Amino acid sequence: MAESHDHVSCSEVVELVTDYLERSLPPEEAALFEQHLNFCDGCVWYVDQIQTTVETVGRIEPEEVPPEVRSQLLAAFRDWKRS
Amino acid sequence: MIAYKFLRPDGTSVFTRYTWPLPDDGPGPWVDAEVDPCRSGIHACRRADLPLWLGRSLYEIELEGEVREEATKVVAPRARLLRRIDAWDESTRDEYTRMCADRAHELARAADLAGWDAVVEPSVPEGPALLGFVAARIAEKISGADAYHAERRHQADWLADRLGL
Repeated sequence: MAESHDHVSCSEVVELVTDYLERSLPPEEAALFEQHLNFCDGCVWYVDQIQTTVETVGRIEPEEVPPEVRSQLLAAFRDWKRS
Repeated sequence: MIAYKFLRPDGTSVFTRYTWPLPDDGPGPWVDAEVDPCRSGIHACRRADLPLWLGRSLYEIELEGEVREEATKVVAPRARLLRRIDAWDESTRDEYTRMCADRAHELARAADLAGWDAVVEPSVPEGPALLGFVAARIAEKISGADAYHAERRHQADWLADRLGL
């Protein structure tokens, strides 16, 4: 029996949150995303947290990152790509 | 076109936090916005959309210009709030929540869905939007997508009847 595609789950909210915040979701998906937020306080909290993180990290300039931290971060991302 | 809009108790939009000029003795002033569904424009509900967007305060809104009809909402370039729908109060919200909870129990028990039945009462404090979704999802689990939409239509009819829309 086919279920509808007219709602999204909490795990789909997690998958779609970046696109939602960047306003790159198609309108139909954005509507379903917001319908979910309308009744799910846990996901509202999650989206708020991600938004706050994006805004905070977005304010950091490259020169504000100490060289040793920068090296560690680059190494970590290289390893992540390989795994 | 006459439609409906849910706002937060302080008169701001649920998602954009835009502060709406509220109606007083008469309609509020016109508000203009560029239309881009889910990004900008004035978003509102038709009667059938109400269960999907339940919020704390409900207003009747007059839409003007080229109104775009989307699957679960309408979007307009110009609108004004006409009046607050006072019947959507704490008591009606509780009554609607209970109606959806009872319906969810009825569906879940008839289909031996004990797991779904068990989530109904713990969801009640979360309010009407969640309970409406739970009832519709149980219907969908039992009978498929059409049942989900039928349950939503039943909820919309209940709201329209109780709120005199």
